[in-house]
Amino acid sequence: MTTYSSNRTQLGQLIAHKDLLISWTGRIVKARYQQSVLGGLWAVVQPLALALIFTAVFTFVVRMDTGEIPYIIFSYSALVPWLLFEQSISSSVQSLVVNMGLVSKIYFPREILPMAEVAARLVDFLIAFVVLIGFMLYYGRPIFTLNWIFLPVILIVQLSLVLGIGLIGSALNVFFRDVSHVVILILKVWMYATPIIYPVSLVEAQLASRGAENLLSLYFINPMAAIIESYRNVLLYDSGLNEYFGLAAIISFVVLAFGYWLFKRLEFNFADIV
Amino acid sequence: MNYSIEFNNIIKRYKLGKTVTSVRDVFRNIGSTGQAEYHYAVNDVSFQLKPGESLGIIGPNGAGKTTTLKLLSGVTKPTSGLINVNGRFSALIELGAGFHPDLTGRENVYLNGTILGMSRAEINERFDDILDFAGIGDFIDTPVKRYSSGMYARLGFSIAAHVDPDVLLVDEVLAVGDFAFRAKCYKRMDDLRAKGTSLIFVTHDMDAVRRVCDRGMVMYSGKSVFEGTSAEAVVAYSDVIRKAAKKASQEAIPSNKSTENGLAQRVMSFAADITNVSMFNSVGDNVTTFEPGDEASIVVTFDVNKDMESPVCAFSIRQPDGTMVYDATTRWLDIDTPSYKAGEQGKVEYKVRLNLVEGVYNVGADLASHDLSCYIDRVEQAMGFAIVNGTGAKGIADLQTAVSFGEKDMETA
Repeated sequence: MTTYSSNRTQLGQLIAHKDLLISWTGRIVKARYQQSVLGGLWAVVQPLALALIFTAVFTFVVRMDTGEIPYIIFSYSALVPWLLFEQSISSSVQSLVVNMGLVSKIYFPREILPMAEVAARLVDFLIAFVVLIGFMLYYGRPIFTLNWIFLPVILIVQLSLVLGIGLIGSALNVFFRDVSHVVILILKVWMYATPIIYPVSLVEAQLASRGAENLLSLYFINPMAAIIESYRNVLLYDSGLNEYFGLAAIISFVVLAFGYWLFKRLEFNFADIV
Repeated sequence: MNYSIEFNNIIKRYKLGKTVTSVRDVFRNIGSTGQAEYHYAVNDVSFQLKPGESLGIIGPNGAGKTTTLKLLSGVTKPTSGLINVNGRFSALIELGAGFHPDLTGRENVYLNGTILGMSRAEINERFDDILDFAGIGDFIDTPVKRYSSGMYARLGFSIAAHVDPDVLLVDEVLAVGDFAFRAKCYKRMDDLRAKGTSLIFVTHDMDAVRRVCDRGMVMYSGKSVFEGTSAEAVVAYSDVIRKAAKKASQEAIPSNKSTENGLAQRVMSFAADITNVSMFNSVGDNVTTFEPGDEASIVVTFDVNKDMESPVCAFSIRQPDGTMVYDATTRWLDIDTPSYKAGEQGKVEYKVRLNLVEGVYNVGADLASHDLSCYIDRVEQAMGFAIVNGTGAKGIADLQTAVSFGEKDMETA
């Protein structure tokens, strides 16, 4: 074997470094809010500001029908998981390049860097989620229903997708810095391809009016569509997973598996590219 | 016999060129391409270390030292060859790797410690020792951005030295820090070695290698060009480099490409070759033994290959272990030197008084360009000489002690 000897498997290495994952996540979170007055409140300000802007536009400028659900919770409940998705990906894509000094000098399982970025955004997500619960109480929506047991399932699928894309993006970004720019662009478009500011019923109605109902499954090739819809089902409508959630889960796990494989394959070239 | 490190026939080559040109290059296996040009950063280097042994690796910039470290630490993989590291491994390649300036010393200990492969439980256990060794006291709860560079280095070293590794890699990080802290670091390395840690020390600092390592290896252009004890390696260093550089310059196929990439190393320009170094006593005999306080001339002759405008001429005297006894250059002495034309023969005579204690010494000589931008030629161990019939005093300099005692004053006694 022409390799660095190690009795551990790749996953074994990762598990042995779990404390590094924890402390590196802590480093990101602490450093992010260390010298800001609002600190962790920024995790709320961002989705809230976006929700308010969209509420202003889609209540007063253009009327968006969201049924009995006030538009502000309608959009906030999707923006919180969406921002977890968007911000985790954009910061994990940069994670290797930003820490190149470390990567080119000391060995540790490199996937820790993108994983910690995702974990750090998860902290933001949880803070923003607490505020969501506050909103729901204010608007008299039911909370902690039985259907909430689906939330961890949805979150796990979403995190798999995020991490998979983060692994692919961060590894490729070492070789081509264009990747980070492209990813930001794709995420912008992706948001509008996902039912965040509009309900899926609108897509269904549009397709129906053109006699193309069967294209709806095409819309759900985007795993984030089913993931966001499932969040809304559970949080706003007290029901279960979206019917396309299974497909989203399969796509997410495949992306994660491919991402991990690719990352591990390229890992030992990282230090050679400076 | 169990080795803690085996580094067998390691080759690491990089493809020459700007950077990655196409997506396909990234995925293509290195080595499967035919006509690409390669740079051999490490070329067929082997060494083995048993527990408790220490090896110093010295060499000029670009000799492959850093690549060797990267290979050992597993950051990059060899193109071919086998690396075996048995046991726990810690690398002191960069002090305070991963330190975040906004976090406190305490938080950074956990961060850096886990990067170096310790668990939180282990760090908890060793925290007091780490703090004690670093000697930064209450500053541990201050953000490290308010640390002095010395404190930063002390904390960084302290963490790495407490990993309790079976193999410790040390890059020339000890250049920072004050003298006392350096001594403390060396002491810690000795302690670790006594406990069976194998040590690899990569540095430019010859004295540090002699101090810390029992074995030494000189690298040049990716190859191991000398192996022996660390004292031998230090003494051999310049000569080995000179020979290797000379060989390379004779064989050299001038390649602009490699210079552009900063890969070519010219330690010496060889605008002249030092052909002979001899010593003469006060009556002009060519001898190699002297007595303390004797006058002597050191005569250096050289063939001029290219025109040289007033080169700087220098000679040095060292003890066999490499300790510098005397070092003088025409620049320091503020002496004008003549210019030489290609084809001429040059001769410099240094008249010295050998106020040295009994022992064996080596003479080195070198020529450097007028602006000191490069060596022209350099011979570290040109010849040896001995001082005999000393007074019995030890050390280096013979201070020609005369001893007298005052007359005893009976009245005050």
